[in-house]
Amino acid sequence: MDPTAQRDSWLAQVAAAADEAALAAVETRLLAAEGELTQLLRSVTSLPKEQRPAFGKAANGVKQAVEAAIAAARTGFAARALQRELAQPDFDPTEAAPAPRRGALHPITIVQNELVDLFTSLGFQWQDGPEVESEYFNFDALNIPADHPARESQDTFWCEPIDGGRRHLLRTHTSPVQVRTMQRFVKEHGPGPLKVIVPGRCFRSETVDKSHEHTFYQMEGLVVDRGVSTANLIYTMKTCLRQILKRDVKVRLRPGFFPFVEPGFELDVNCPFCQGRGCSVCKRSGWIEILPCGMVHPNVLQQGGYDPEQFTGFAFGMGLQRVVMLRYGIDDIRQFMGGDMRFLRQFPEVPR
Amino acid sequence: MKLSLSWLAEHVDLSGLEPQQILKDLSMSTAEIEGVQQFGQGLECLLVGHVRAAEKHPDADKLSVCQVDLGPQHGGVQQIVCGAPNVARGQRVVVIRPGDSLPEQGGKGALKIKVGKIRGVESHGMICSEAELGLSSDHDGILVLPPDAPIGARFVDVLPVQDWVFEIDNKSINHRPDLWGHYGFARELAAIYGRPLRSLPPPPTLPARGATVPIEVEDRVGCPRYCGLVIDGVRAEKSPPALRWRLQAVGQRAINLPVDLTNYVLLELGQPLHAFDLEHVGSGPIRVRRAKSGESLTTLDGQARKLTDQDLLVCVGTRPEALAGIMGGAGTMVGGGTTRLFLEAANFHAATVRKTSMRLGLRTDASARFEKAQDPANASLGALRFLQLLQQHCPTATAAGPLADPLGWVEPQKTVALRRERLALKLGIELPDERVAGILQALQFGVQTTPVGFTVAVPSFRATKDIAHEDDLIEEVGRMFRYDNIPERPLRGTIAPPPRHDELFLVRRLLEVACLDLGCSEAYNYSFVPDAVLAACGADAHAYVRVQNPVAPEQARIRRHVLPSLLQSAANNLAGGAVGHSAGGAEVLLCEHGKGYHAEMRADHDLPHEVREVAFVHSRRDGLHPFLELRANLERLLQRVGHPATMARVWHGKDQPWVHPNAAVAIDRDGSPVGYVAHLHPGVARAMNLPSTTAIACLDVRALLANGRRTAHYQAVPTFPVLPVDVALLVDSGVQASAVAEFLRTVGRKLVRDVQLFEVYRGERLPPGKKSLNFTVTLGADDRTLTDEDESRYLGKVRDQAAQVGAELRG
Repeated sequence: MDPTAQRDSWLAQVAAAADEAALAAVETRLLAAEGELTQLLRSVTSLPKEQRPAFGKAANGVKQAVEAAIAAARTGFAARALQRELAQPDFDPTEAAPAPRRGALHPITIVQNELVDLFTSLGFQWQDGPEVESEYFNFDALNIPADHPARESQDTFWCEPIDGGRRHLLRTHTSPVQVRTMQRFVKEHGPGPLKVIVPGRCFRSETVDKSHEHTFYQMEGLVVDRGVSTANLIYTMKTCLRQILKRDVKVRLRPGFFPFVEPGFELDVNCPFCQGRGCSVCKRSGWIEILPCGMVHPNVLQQGGYDPEQFTGFAFGMGLQRVVMLRYGIDDIRQFMGGDMRFLRQFPEVPR
Repeated sequence: MKLSLSWLAEHVDLSGLEPQQILKDLSMSTAEIEGVQQFGQGLECLLVGHVRAAEKHPDADKLSVCQVDLGPQHGGVQQIVCGAPNVARGQRVVVIRPGDSLPEQGGKGALKIKVGKIRGVESHGMICSEAELGLSSDHDGILVLPPDAPIGARFVDVLPVQDWVFEIDNKSINHRPDLWGHYGFARELAAIYGRPLRSLPPPPTLPARGATVPIEVEDRVGCPRYCGLVIDGVRAEKSPPALRWRLQAVGQRAINLPVDLTNYVLLELGQPLHAFDLEHVGSGPIRVRRAKSGESLTTLDGQARKLTDQDLLVCVGTRPEALAGIMGGAGTMVGGGTTRLFLEAANFHAATVRKTSMRLGLRTDASARFEKAQDPANASLGALRFLQLLQQHCPTATAAGPLADPLGWVEPQKTVALRRERLALKLGIELPDERVAGILQALQFGVQTTPVGFTVAVPSFRATKDIAHEDDLIEEVGRMFRYDNIPERPLRGTIAPPPRHDELFLVRRLLEVACLDLGCSEAYNYSFVPDAVLAACGADAHAYVRVQNPVAPEQARIRRHVLPSLLQSAANNLAGGAVGHSAGGAEVLLCEHGKGYHAEMRADHDLPHEVREVAFVHSRRDGLHPFLELRANLERLLQRVGHPATMARVWHGKDQPWVHPNAAVAIDRDGSPVGYVAHLHPGVARAMNLPSTTAIACLDVRALLANGRRTAHYQAVPTFPVLPVDVALLVDSGVQASAVAEFLRTVGRKLVRDVQLFEVYRGERLPPGKKSLNFTVTLGADDRTLTDEDESRYLGKVRDQAAQVGAELRG
């Protein structure tokens, strides 16, 4: 028997297999336990001893040729299958899919957080206090006299006393938290160095229009330590404003009056719109008023539990809405309240 | 308040200083100046003309045809048609020529003069009235100049009509009673420029005896000083132009000489005066007393004012004649016929004046000054200055008697010690003694050097209000040295990390995840919640903190919770057609952080109990209920911020009637509630015009924080594989999945590692009213590999005990 008799026929069968399944069928028919090729190899045992080596060698040659043909065919199928998969004729990667929800922080929150990051990096602690506040913390403790006009209902929202209790108010500034924080700090640690910022919601009885709001946001800052001076205030404010306004600012300090500081200042920065030459934004002065500040009044330090002979300090306040309006060019202060998504979704900024 | 430069310059030499320079220096050392403007601007083109002839217009009764000589250098005699009744031959008048323009005023643009024909007669220019020049509202006739005015000269060179006017920001001088008049600002300028402050002209001498009106002050707190002076020989005529224009320049309308001079003294010294017609006062007495409740007075402006016993009155006998320090009564007016005056120059108590003025909504130049606490020394000073000015313009006027000053006034001797060391500490710079003393002396403080610094005597005009402490003097030195000249210096201190306010940082993280990861938009709403919103939410019966003076009567309540106003935001957005994110149509997803106040509970200082909340509203209009999505989002959110919570306990929304009573879960941390996720109550949805497919959630930030952050604990990684087992349980529709899950957990004891609900099936293959809860229960043990036997033992227990939770094992 010629072991190579069927070689061409078998190779032809492999070659004729049209796909992976047909190829598998051919492989089974030839190479399975009872397959044609397997039987051919097995038939070597029925031959006389001297014929066996030649027959075996030839038969194995046939087997190797068939297996190689099958492997080659299989590789070919896999390659073609991969080609087909890669072609993806129906797929359009530019098709619209359901969009992820897009939300946004309130612009005041965005700016407030940036300021908090800046000041906490400089060692300030972030503090907060109640919006319904006592007359003591909002006025008395801040050296605002009992007959001061700020206490009139033209400026302050007063609350109806509850069950004959004390008359509270909606805080008119974030400054009450100065004394609250000093008192708490002194109670816990005794008088010592303190650096605080207090961003928050404040209220003043005002008619709302494009540039006035009865609900507004302030950020208060307070530094108390031994030997703190006006010179330190100027340096600190300059450093912070440079970061906040992202430019090399010039500042100037003018007198300003606030009962809880002495001396009190208005701090101006050089106008960014005209480089100090004078324009309509800065009312031709070349300067923009940005920050009332001052050296903490001895009476306020005393209310906070500090000895004003041992400790001095400075405080500053900033209108957050003003910073936000300047940054984004918002010209109507009323937009901040009420939750109109057409406004809110314009600020998809992510914290750094 | 407005300041005239020429007026200031009467008291201090300002030569060589530009108005802009003065503005800057005042801003840097004294007060905030809003701007500077020229009064009489654009009048340079006007010329003095001489009316050589004035004839009646041939064709018009009220017009005159004038021949006006402008001098040879301006073309000599010109023909001008004039409509003024007072034009006459021989007058010196103000003429504008063709081609020139009158200044714009009253919103009208500049008027350009052309050669024209008026009723057939040519006119080459115009003879001007004061109103046309913008100098007053006087339209009655042309301005007639003094007869010696040189023909052809520029009008602005002949009379002091042009001036610079500074506009002061009143808020910046509220604490400085001395700055409410020109003299106070002149004092500041003298100190700034190191030039002497001129004294006021010497007062006229008064007769030692003569006519006075008796004065009785019943309320010495309300009226610490009251001076009165009787003046004869007064003519209440129109004031001379220079006086009128100066008043006009600083915004004060001229009336007649005596009245104008009371205003002049007020604007110069800050001392309000009141001139009564003596006929009206008679023999007095002048009595200063509190009003009786229910008493009333008609003030100069014709308004009848109802008074309380807080108000201070100036009376003649028993008859109220003036609201002390605010406004005179209607009958006290000095008119054309007045020849004898009773001049009041008093000092009234600041808070009394302010309270009355506020209550009546009646703010006047006088009340604005008294409420700043004026110096009582100015009362006599003001009266004498008035008389001196009056005599200057009306030589017949004389004091009929001495200055009555029954209470008198003694200048308080107030001194404040100023230490060198303290000055250097607060300003951050050491100044030589001579510099410090020089500054204080220029501001008219008395200065004596001591071993540690200075003893400073406070002048009375600074003693009523703003100078009381050492630091007040440091401000004086600092502002005159100029804060700008202080070199900046960095803070020094030890390094210490700032204490961390966990609550504030948690809120910040919650909002960042909610907005940036979950797609919420962060809203801000007022703390005042409208009554209508509370009514719609069924929440008007609760105890609210209320504002006494709300922005609107229906917004007096301070919110207890954030959600009601946020629901209103959601409704507004849907009504306004906010474009949603979801494919199906409009949806809103809002969050808000805020505080709420509960009036029925008290905290420190008797303050109402405060809560801090973050609230969520997710509303869809495509019919799908967003509850499960919102709940899943809250789970992700709380995990993300390190406070994972379970949401498996049905909650009935006791305090919060906008929560659906049967469709809400509590958010629990270690078994205590920190918030809820719920369907919006359908009744509230209807009332607020929100779709019923609205889900809400609220986190109580302090409760969340009280339960601590999740921290990780290491356990040995299991060596043996786990065995997942699928369990399907048939239950009644109303059975809670969370209860069944808990059953699956407990029934397997220690072997159960995890229970996950992967499907809830309701369908035709099940009996009606039933659902199938399909769980994957993960079994595992630390010491061996579990076998099929463990699985069948577990399922056997489930089968046997499922009835406990009303369930039946399927399959």
